[in-house]
Amino acid sequence: MTSNLTQKPKVQGKIIVITSGKGGVGKTTSAAAISAGLAQRGHKTVVIDFDVGLRNLDMIMGCERRVVFDFINVIQGDARLKQALIKDKRLENLFILPTSQTRDKDALTKEGVEKVLNELRDEFEYIVCDSPAGIERGAQMAMYFADEAVVVTNPEVSSVRDSDRVLGLLSSKTARAERPGAEPIKAQVLLTRYDVQRIARGEMMTVDDVLEILAVPLLGIVPESPAVLRASNEGVPVTMDEPSAASAAYMDAVARLTGEEVEMRLASDKRPGLFQRLFGRTG
Amino acid sequence: MNVAKDTPPDHRAESRTSVRPINIRGRFLTAVALKIDGGLPDDDFYAALDDMLRQRPHFLVDAPLILDLDGADSLTRSTEMKDLVANLKARKFNAFGVQNASDMQLAAAEEAGLIAVPPGRDAPLRDDRPERRRSAGTTEKQPTAVTRTVTVPIRSGQTVVAEHGDLVVIGPVASGAELIARGNIHIYGTLRGRAMAGCHGDTEARIFCQNMDAELLAVAGLYRTSENLGQEIRKRSVQVFLQDERLCVETLG
Repeated sequence: MTSNLTQKPKVQGKIIVITSGKGGVGKTTSAAAISAGLAQRGHKTVVIDFDVGLRNLDMIMGCERRVVFDFINVIQGDARLKQALIKDKRLENLFILPTSQTRDKDALTKEGVEKVLNELRDEFEYIVCDSPAGIERGAQMAMYFADEAVVVTNPEVSSVRDSDRVLGLLSSKTARAERPGAEPIKAQVLLTRYDVQRIARGEMMTVDDVLEILAVPLLGIVPESPAVLRASNEGVPVTMDEPSAASAAYMDAVARLTGEEVEMRLASDKRPGLFQRLFGRTG
Repeated sequence: MNVAKDTPPDHRAESRTSVRPINIRGRFLTAVALKIDGGLPDDDFYAALDDMLRQRPHFLVDAPLILDLDGADSLTRSTEMKDLVANLKARKFNAFGVQNASDMQLAAAEEAGLIAVPPGRDAPLRDDRPERRRSAGTTEKQPTAVTRTVTVPIRSGQTVVAEHGDLVVIGPVASGAELIARGNIHIYGTLRGRAMAGCHGDTEARIFCQNMDAELLAVAGLYRTSENLGQEIRKRSVQVFLQDERLCVETLG
């Protein structure tokens, strides 16, 4: 520790992976919303797109036309990190490291990813890694060096099972799992596309059902909201868009991620009583 | 076969393989003995042999052949021996040894490139072998039972194996996860995945589960899936065991 302090006076940044296993549950939306939320709260944050070949994050962040160099260029030494980082025009503390649309996941090497992440750790408080779907190389590289994990889950059985699989990988196939004596990755569930009416009709799983299976703390509940799709299409992270139930839920989740205790609530006007019961679980 | 699988890897043997040793293994094969009766094999002998081959052309073709010299006292010279081997070779018989040979015949056979095969050895060997195998088996098949205890949730896609004893899980077992144990399996939590006790054939092994919602339960290879487990035991505390070669699931308490 002492040698660390003398070499690197700055606080080491925290690496948070946004992952899920299943596709289409809202990983990239959540990565954009959470990183923007962290920056809004004054934390210097970078969000990295690990979905090599299916570049999406830059579109949701509204910077797709500003991409010159990317993550893969940096890993392969064709560009410096500073050249590839895109500074957000709206938030001073927010940076985006886009990925390549023309390469594939094999371009991600463990050594290359580690080098880039170590460099970022010195500069940023939070490094948010947007994982691709699946459990193959791209997803494994995104989670390998993480300190914390946000497992994005929809309240339906296939999504929950895939999240469970990913939680297993987080506790076995990551740097923290492989290093003896290291604290395991702190994993939390973010329930997205939560539709109170459909759950009341019994068409989807309840929060209790999901948490009982996954057996990890709940980071937040993001309601199904038209604001999410609208914001994505406009290239604005949900948390930077006009106030909505979804943006309020993401901001609560961000606050919890930074260690604040925030009561679990659904920002819409529907049955808050259901979620108050859950508060005890999240501590 | 089982014995070999269960034996823990021999590290000395492993290190030896890294320098590529000469591989020598015991080998048993079935050979055919051809009795050479009377005097030297003459035209009549070969004619009889050809006759036999005509009737059953594929009979004994390419078979390893031993010459039984019990009644062939006159066959003592190596040239005769070589002639015989060559004539047999022409008929696709591969003679490689002699049995019941006199000392003189042995010397001649050696010159002709044939080896001495001791006759009638197989009987004592057969008595000997199973006993040796059994004693080797008993020493290797007594590893001390080692219990494996897991206190974290078992996730979908994970397999936990207790190779040498019981498996105890404190926490949930997700659907798509697998528990395998040589002995009993205990689950203090909800079992939504699969549990296989007595995986090496122990029919006395049991599964104990606090909250049963399994995909599959098995003891010593006999299994039932969620479809034929019945609703009445779902979400209950149960034990699973074998009785009269049937897999029984019984609620506890």
